[in-house]
Order: sequence, then C-alpha cells, then structure tokens
Amino acid sequence: MDEHQKINNKLDPVIPEITEWPIYKLSQDQESFLDETITKTIDGLLESYGDASVLHSELKSILYQEKNRLTKEPWKSDSPEERIFWSEIKRQILLTDKIEEEKKKYKEDKKIFRSILTYYSKEIVANFDPKKYKVARKVLPFLFSRLMNASPGNKLKFLFGNKKTIYDKFNITGPIDHVRNLSKKGTVIIVPTHFSNIDSPTIGLVIDIIGLPGMTYGAGINLFTIGILSRWLNDLGAYKLDRRRKNKPYLELLKNYSTVAIKRGAHSLFFPGGTRSRSGQIEKKLKLGLLGTALEGQRQNLLNFQEDTAKKIFVVPVVLNYHFVMEASSLINQHLAYEGKEQFIPEKDDFSTSYKLLKLIFKVITANPGMTISFASPMDVVGNEVDFEGNSINNIGQSVNIKDYFTLDGVMKEDKQRDQVYTGILGERIVEKFLSANTVLSSHLVSFVAFEMIQREFKGLDLYQFLRVPVDEIEIDIEDFKVELNNIKEKIIDLYAEGKLRVHDRIKGENEEIIKHGLKNLGVYHPSMPLVKNSNGNIITQDLKVLYFYHNRLMGYGLERHFE
Amino acid sequence: MDSKDTLNKYGVVGSGSFGIAIANLLAENGEVLMYTRSEDQMTSINADRHLKGQEMSTRVTATNDYKQLAEECYLIFPIVPSDNFVDMLEELAPYLKPSHILIHGTKGLYTPKKISNEIPLRKDEVFTMSELIKIKTGVVRVGCLAGPNLASELSEHQPAATVIASRFNEVIEVGQQALKSNRFQVYGSNELLGVELAGVLKNYVAIASGMLTGLGYGENARALLITRGMAELIYIAKALGASEKAFLGLAGIGDLIATCNSSKSRNYRVGLQLAEGKNLEEIIASIGEVAEGVKTLQIVKALQKYGYRAPLAEILYKIVFEDLPIKKGIDFLMRFSADKDAEYIV
Repeated sequence: MDEHQKINNKLDPVIPEITEWPIYKLSQDQESFLDETITKTIDGLLESYGDASVLHSELKSILYQEKNRLTKEPWKSDSPEERIFWSEIKRQILLTDKIEEEKKKYKEDKKIFRSILTYYSKEIVANFDPKKYKVARKVLPFLFSRLMNASPGNKLKFLFGNKKTIYDKFNITGPIDHVRNLSKKGTVIIVPTHFSNIDSPTIGLVIDIIGLPGMTYGAGINLFTIGILSRWLNDLGAYKLDRRRKNKPYLELLKNYSTVAIKRGAHSLFFPGGTRSRSGQIEKKLKLGLLGTALEGQRQNLLNFQEDTAKKIFVVPVVLNYHFVMEASSLINQHLAYEGKEQFIPEKDDFSTSYKLLKLIFKVITANPGMTISFASPMDVVGNEVDFEGNSINNIGQSVNIKDYFTLDGVMKEDKQRDQVYTGILGERIVEKFLSANTVLSSHLVSFVAFEMIQREFKGLDLYQFLRVPVDEIEIDIEDFKVELNNIKEKIIDLYAEGKLRVHDRIKGENEEIIKHGLKNLGVYHPSMPLVKNSNGNIITQDLKVLYFYHNRLMGYGLERHFE
Repeated sequence: MDSKDTLNKYGVVGSGSFGIAIANLLAENGEVLMYTRSEDQMTSINADRHLKGQEMSTRVTATNDYKQLAEECYLIFPIVPSDNFVDMLEELAPYLKPSHILIHGTKGLYTPKKISNEIPLRKDEVFTMSELIKIKTGVVRVGCLAGPNLASELSEHQPAATVIASRFNEVIEVGQQALKSNRFQVYGSNELLGVELAGVLKNYVAIASGMLTGLGYGENARALLITRGMAELIYIAKALGASEKAFLGLAGIGDLIATCNSSKSRNYRVGLQLAEGKNLEEIIASIGEVAEGVKTLQIVKALQKYGYRAPLAEILYKIVFEDLPIKKGIDFLMRFSADKDAEYIV
C-alpha cells in the first residue's frame, strides 16, 4: 500500500462502461429503489409511533412546518407546485379529522403519509443519465483547464493557452490504487472534509480523475439554484436535500435513501461534518446520522446475503485543502456568532450566481497548488483498517470477520444502540484520519504561526476581545517570525515522520521560500489581506478574524502549546 | 455456539477471592469455565470443589487453556490484579474475536511508565482496564463490574448488588442475565469511565479510613472523610474526562461506604496497620495481595499537573511514602478549610 501515491494524470476508469456502474443500475431500478426506501421509512416510523393517534398529529405537524417554510423561508428552488401539493394534503387531513372509526382513520392517515413521503422522495431522487454524465465529465475539466491557464497577468492564455493540464493543479495523494481496487470488491463511501461550496464539484471531478465510477451523493437543494452548478450536480447524479426541512419523516427518508443505495451497492459520498466547517478547523464532531447509514447498509447486507456474496462497505476519508476559501469571512463570522449553539444558519453565501462561482473556481485554481486532495487509508464500517483485498485488520493486526461485530452468542442480531456506538467509533476514527491526512500548505503554516504570535502579545484578552483588537496595533517582527516559524516547522516535520499529518513538498524546503510562498498565496483574493508585509519588511494583518480561520486548520495537533 | 437447550457457558479469568465469588454467582445461571494457570488450583476446583477456603459450585470447571476458554465462552469476565492484566490480555488476545464480550472486574489503573515523583504522568499514559482491553485485544464490546462487592460477604451468600457499565446496552443486558439472582442485583450504566474511576479511586480513601480507626477516631470523622473524599474523587474523575454521575450511584458512594467501613477491605487494612506503626513492606507481606489503593495514590499524585484539588491524596502520599507522621497528616486534613458543601453538583 502506498500512502503517498501521487496522481499526475487521469487514470483509466475501474469500470469502463457507464452502464455497468452501480449508480446507473440504481437509476434503472429507480421505482423499486424508491419503493424500498419509502416502505422502510414508513415501517420504521410507524413502529416508533406505536399509537395510531401519533401518526395523525405527526401529519398535522409536518403540514404546519411545510406551510411555515413556504411562507417564511422561501427559496428560488421551491417548485411552484409545492403549494398545490400541501393544500391537497391539508384537505385530506381535514377529511380524516372527521372520520370517527379508528381503523379507517388510521388507514387514511397511512395513505396520506405515504403520499407525503413519495412526494419527498421524488424531490430527493437523483437522475443519473449516462449521456449527460459523459458530457459533464468532458466539458468541465476542459473548462477548468482553460481557467487555470489564466493566472493573474496571464489573461490571454485564458483563451489561447493550453500548456497546463488540470492535473498540475490537482494535488491528489494517498492510496489511490487501493481505493480503486476496493471499488471492485465492495461499496466505497467517500467522506471528505467540508470547507467550501466548491468541495462538491471538486470531489466530483477528482473521483472521475482517479477512475472511480460515479457516486451517489447528496447536495443542498439551494446549490441547485446556481445555474452551472445545478447542471453539474444534476448530471453527476447528486440527490437533493433540503436543510430547511427538519421533520423526522423527511430526515428518516434521507437516511434510508442512503442506506438502501449503499445496500444496493451504489458507491456513495457524503460530507460527514454535515455543513461546511465554520471555524476553518478540521471537523472534530461528525453528524452520525448519515454516517450510520454505512453501518446499517453493511449490517443489512450481512443479514440478507450469504457471507461470500454480502458486499463489504469501505469508508475512505478525504481531506480537501486550499490556500483560499472564498467564504472564509462569512464562515468565521457565523462561527463566532453561533459558537457552541446548534442553530440553523441561513444558507446565504458570498456567491450565489454562476458568474460568481466561476470566478471563485478560477481564483482557487490559479493559486499554486490549486487544490490538495489527500485520501486517507480505507476502513471498514467499524473503523478497522482494510488490506488491499478488503479484509479487515483490527487494531492488533488480526484479520477479522466484519460479521463478528454484529453477532451475539453466535447469532446475527439487529441492535440499534450497538450500531450507534459503532458509528460513534467510526466517527472518531474518521476524525483521526482527517488529522493524519491533512496536508500542511505554506499558507497554513504562516497563518498559524502569525496568529499564535499575535495572540501571545495580547495574553490577557479572551478570544473575542482579542479578535476586536485594532489591526493597526499589530506588527510582527520578521526576524522573530522566522524563528517561530522554524520552531513550528520542525514540530510539523516530526509529526509528519510519525505519520500524524502530511506536508506539501514545499514545507520540506527553505524557510524563506515557505514564508514568501505562504504570504503570497494565503487567502490572496480577500478584500483585506489576512497577512501582508509592510514597508519595514515586518508582517501585519488586515483581517484578524480571517487569519484566525486559516490558522485553525492546524489546530488539533497541540502545536499551539508551543506559544503558551 | 451453545444451542439454547443447554446452559450458557461463561468464562472467568482469575482465581482470586473476587474471581471465585463471581464464578459462583455465574454458576447460578449457567456453566462456568474458569481459567487458572496453576495445576494445583485446577485440581482444587475440579476435584476438591474448594479453592482458597471457598466452596466451588459444581457447575464451575477449571482450565489452563485460553484457547478452550475463548472457543467455549463468548462472554468472559477477566478478574485479575491490575499488575497482571496486560500479560493476561496478551496471552488471551490471539484467541479472541470481535464477537466476544469482556466484562472485567478489576479495580485498578495501569501505566506503562515508571511512576516517579519527579516526572508527571500525562492522561494518555494512564489506562483503565477497559481501555487496556480495547488496546490489547480485538474486542470492542467491553464492560466493567463495580460496586460494593466484598468477596467474603458474597461468598457467604449475603445480599448485594453491583453495576455493569458499558457503552453497549447489549453488554449490560448479557451481563445482567449472567449474574443476577435473588441475592444479587445487577444495575446498568453507560458511564463506563466514571464507573471504572469510581471503583479505582475510592481505594485510597479506604486507606485513610483505616487510619482514622487506627487513630481511634469515630464515625463523625469518617463521615467527613467519606463526603470530602467523594468530592475529591469527583474532581479527579472530571479532570480525566468522566462525569460525576457514576459517583452518586452504587459504584461510587455505595462502594465508598462499604470499603471505608469494612475491616475486610485490603485498603482499609493497609491504613489501619500504618496507623498501628507498621511500615508498608511489612503490611504488604502480611496482607498477601496487593492493595490497589497504594498504586492508585502514586498515579493520582503523578497526574496532579491536571490541576485538580486532591489534598487527601497528597497528604496520604506523604504519609505512605515520605514518612509524614500519621496523626499530623490526618489532623491537617480534618481541619482542611471548609468550602461550600456538595459544590461538585451544578
């Protein structure tokens, strides 16, 4: 297994024929797939409701929430037919209100319930069309390549140059052959970190570059309103999720959509952090709901199939790194405002049109390297490493049978609470892998050192007071900066040697170069620069909060203790 | 494994007094396979039906083969002193699978580091027994057994209760089915770390309790020791990442009351004999088995950089290892400045 494999060209597809891809087969069976998903959701929920009257009040509560959403939080993406649908549901609920016979009432309620879930499922479901997929995967890289050749001061090349290929800008590392092989042995679930709205298109493209078949993945329904992104997501087969909907049946349906897709062998991708990391720090806590679908898919496979035919599920964490996150400023402000609270954050972004999105992609890839995509080694659903052939290897190096995790006294048994604990363990392992696959870029290093040095100067202040310090009071002596940067760099190289993180090749080079490159690339397109050199050659900041955001990328390794 | 027409078979590792008591309790609900290294003990169990003065149920069979133990029992109770725990796990691990469930009954902490007064320990250098199981074996479904369970009283068939703690409900359930009986209640808890720490940390409070008796002090002083000792344990446990919940239950206050009041508790006897003027070596020689409290004291002291308040541990450490006169130390503690009562409950 080569953990440091680097990809410099497009790899041959693992399965050349798109019609052989699991995602295609899933779309061919769409009717039975959705039916299984809906039935599973209804069965599970009715069991949890117990009493028939609970369903009736649940229906009313869904209706209330949906009406509320349509009036208070309307989005462009909302279909005009929605109002008609919910009015019809309202009419039906009013009718069942009047039914006195319990059995009949329950029967009618169940019908309404099914039609709501069917409506949801049609909204969610991905439409995978091989023809569109083929076009998307050809056109977009082409567009990407064109954009990349136009670095600042190089505008003409945008139109006429074709020297650089997309692969020069995508720095893909990790056990790629291993992941490719596993995609033939079982079902692969890619779980990336999430910092920016461009993560979705990026990872979609990367999956194609490394030759993996198309993947089932969910994307926020709001993204489907951004012209080109909408096309891209649709054509790649993304399914839609609406974060405004909080009702349990909808959330259960989404989970079951993922479970059934995984169970049916569709390779999947989801962001286990849920939404983008607000703080700029690598996700520490994951949303276990969606992650649990990997585990449930595996258990169902083991229950329903013979051991040799039950497909195994593999989880592959991926860390995406950029020098520049366009949304940095709004993300960190949301983080500071909502710190510690689970709240709905309006999905309002700095870019919401095709033009702005293209500009963003352009800006990110003109940095060097444009994007760093680090694959971690694959695991099974309980967090064991797996070998090249997909066998689980436990923490003490024994080859183990995944089925043994789900048996009690020799018998396979469903146990939701056990699943939850395993999912928690898997989540912890993914976080560990995020940290160890995180690739340190020059801009991370300079922002980390600078922020910590500045914070040390204002020791008495808490974080919030400190972040309000006027930036013109801040100046770091360049010579002091070099000393501290070298200290932290040495610690990072030690961590790298222990396999606790990855570093970009540049970090192994000269300090002068790291500083120069880091300052040049750090958040280069922000209106106020996180770090810049002044006329004395010293380092100053124009935006402490954005600097904090970039600095946070290196939290989680204890490096900050050096500055205490 | 077993078809359900036959009795369940439970495994026990360790043939100390608590191990024997647990084996006999398990035997009320099924067959028991008990691992012991010693041939003599095997004979005592299999032929004589007696071990260390305790009668053994006819349903208990002894073996010295870990492979047999792992193959025949999916539920195993390791109950060996913390000093031998790692060796035991390393020998057993090759035969264990992820389908096994391990519920240990060892109240101790382990550190691979040499404990010294000069070099402080880090949190990640100290392990509870369930953490050791997870590191040293491939078993994930792990639990612990803790509570006021003085082995001698259990062997006399006196009524008692225990707590099984695990992150997995199924571990608690199978443990309850295996152990519960008319004379033995089994409670469940998901606070694994808290329950383990409660079981371990209380040991040094028991040493202090023995000292109080040795000095001729009465129940007012002991009640003060128990309540303030409890507060101290909670501070330490919180600093190590556990919640206070477990401390208010059977494995916390329950166990603390039992061990602080019983002359049958080894830790209590260590304190008592120290107060009578014996030194530590003499005491360990006379008691025969290790008193976990002494080691716990060293670890708690070495962990002190985590900033918890542990005046009791500090003074006891000085008495046991640095020759502070007992009376001086205990009197200092009894006058220790009063703070708010039960301030650890927020």
